[in-house]
Amino acid sequence: MNHQAPVRRVLRLLGACALLTGWLAAAAPAALASPATHQATGYLRLAHLSPNTPPVDVYLYSVGNSNAMVVVHHVAYGTVSTYQTVPVGDYTVAMRGAGKPSSSPPVLSTTVKIQAGHAYTVAGVGPAAGLRLAVLNDTLTTPKGRSLVRVIQASLKEKKVTVMDGSKALASNLAFGSVTSYVSVAPGTADIKAAGGTMSTSKSVGLPADTTHTIVVLDDPGHLTIDPLTDAAGSNLLPSGGAATGFGGMAPRPGSSPLPWAAATAFGALVAVAAATRLRGRRRSWKARGSHAR
Amino acid sequence: MGLTSRGPRPSGPRLADAGAGTAPARRKHRRPHLSLLALVGRPAVVAAGIGLVLAGSGVAGLLMASHRDYTPPRVGPVKPVLAPAGRPQTPVPQTSAHASAPVSLTIPSIGVRSRLIRLGITKSGALQVPATTTVAGWYTGSPRPGAIGSSVIVGHVDSFTGPGIFYRLHLLHPRNLIYVRQKDGRLAVFRVSSVHQYTKRGFPTVKVYGPAPTPQLRLITCGGTFDVQTGHYLSNIVVYATIAS
Repeated sequence: MNHQAPVRRVLRLLGACALLTGWLAAAAPAALASPATHQATGYLRLAHLSPNTPPVDVYLYSVGNSNAMVVVHHVAYGTVSTYQTVPVGDYTVAMRGAGKPSSSPPVLSTTVKIQAGHAYTVAGVGPAAGLRLAVLNDTLTTPKGRSLVRVIQASLKEKKVTVMDGSKALASNLAFGSVTSYVSVAPGTADIKAAGGTMSTSKSVGLPADTTHTIVVLDDPGHLTIDPLTDAAGSNLLPSGGAATGFGGMAPRPGSSPLPWAAATAFGALVAVAAATRLRGRRRSWKARGSHAR
Repeated sequence: MGLTSRGPRPSGPRLADAGAGTAPARRKHRRPHLSLLALVGRPAVVAAGIGLVLAGSGVAGLLMASHRDYTPPRVGPVKPVLAPAGRPQTPVPQTSAHASAPVSLTIPSIGVRSRLIRLGITKSGALQVPATTTVAGWYTGSPRPGAIGSSVIVGHVDSFTGPGIFYRLHLLHPRNLIYVRQKDGRLAVFRVSSVHQYTKRGFPTVKVYGPAPTPQLRLITCGGTFDVQTGHYLSNIVVYATIAS
C-alpha cells in the first residue's frame, strides 16, 4: 500500500472543504457605503459704490435661467450686502433703476464665475456717467496670525485718497473707483486714517488675527467716511483632524466577530460529513466483501 | 504521515491468537479488533475527527462571541426642550467679527440643552474635547458663535455606559434651529444647512475649521463604527449651520 495516499486524501478532503467554505464566505454582502454628496457653494455679496448713481435693484441670475435667484431692492450708495451662499457656477449680476420692472433691460450687467469656497464682491463703481460693475475676488485666508486689509476708494469728492494704518500705507493716492490688493498687517486695533486733498477722516478698526477686511472710503455729504468691512474670519489655529468624542457606550458591537467561528463550524461540519459519507461507503463495501467470503 | 504503518497491526493477530484455538473463532475475533485499531489509521476517520473538533470549537466560539455581545442601554424618546426665550440677536452682526462669548447651547429638535465650556487644542494639535460627556464645549480658537467665521462646538456622542450630550446630533436635518446664548444675554440663532459624516482619516480640516465670510457654526461629535481595539469611533459627524437671518 502507498503510504502517502491516505494523508494526501485527508489533505484533499480538507482542501475541498476549505474551498467550499471560502466560496460561501465570499458570498457575504459587502459593507454599505454612504457617500455624502454635498453641493459645492461659494459666496457672493453686492455693493453700490457709485456716489452719484441713484439707488438700484440688483438681480442675480444663474446663467441660462431668466428667473432671478436673488433680488436686492433699493440698494443705495454705500450699501454692501452680506454674503449670500450660492451654488458653484456661472452667474449674471444685473442692475436696474430702483423700482423698474424686472422685464426692463438692465442698466448694467456682468458675469461672475463662483468657485467652491471662494468669495466675491460685485460692486457698482465709478461715476454715474461711467458706471461699471467690478468683480472682486475676496480673500478668506490670512497668513498665520496676521490680518489682511485692502481699500476700495469710492469717494468722488476726493478723487485721490491715501489710507494709512498708523504709519503703514494701505493705499497711496488711490484713484476713485479703484481697489488695492490685500496687505498683511499685525493684528490688533488699528487707527485707520483716510486723507484726500482737503478732507480727511480716521476710525479705530479692530483687525483681529486671522481676519480679512475691506476698508471702503465713502463720501458722506460734506466729508469723507470710512466703512470697515470684515470679509472673513478664521480660527487662530486649525485643529488637526477630527475629535475623539465617544467612548463606545452606545455602540452595539459583538465581543468579537462571530464570522470566523461560523466559518470554522461550517468547515468542520463539512469535513465531518464528507468523511462520514466516505466511511459509510467503505463499510458497505467491507460488508459486501465479507458476505462474498462466507 | 505513518498513520497506517504504525505498530498495532502486527500485535493484533497475536492477541487474538492468545484467546482462540480454532480457525473460525479466530477469524470472528479478529474482525472487530482489526477495524477498531485500523479506524485510527483511516484517512476518512481522521478527517471526520478533525471536522468534528473544528465544528465543535466553532460552535463553542460562536456561543462565546454571542455571550460577549455588547448591547447598549435603551434610551427613551427626545425630552422636549423649549427654544430659549429672549430677544434674538437683531440685527444679526453679520458685518462684525465681534460677539460676546457663548454660555449655553439649545437644540430643541434633538432635546439638547447644555452650558458651553471652553476648549483648546491638545498637545498633539487635535481638538480638545470636554472631560465629561454631558456637556458641550466651544473651541476658543474659533470665532465666537454669531461672529463672522466658523465657530466650533464639540460634544461627546456617548460615555462608556450611556448617551452623551450629542448622542442625537446625526438626527438633525437642514433647517433645524440651533440657539447659542451669549454672555451679554443675546441669542444667536443658527439654521442647520447640512449634516455630514467623515472618516477621521479623511476629515476635511479646512472645510470644517477654515475661515468663512459669514457667521457659521460647526457641531462635532463621533459616529460610524466603534473600533474596540483603539477605543475610538472611526468617523465624525459634523453639522454645518449658518446664522438665521
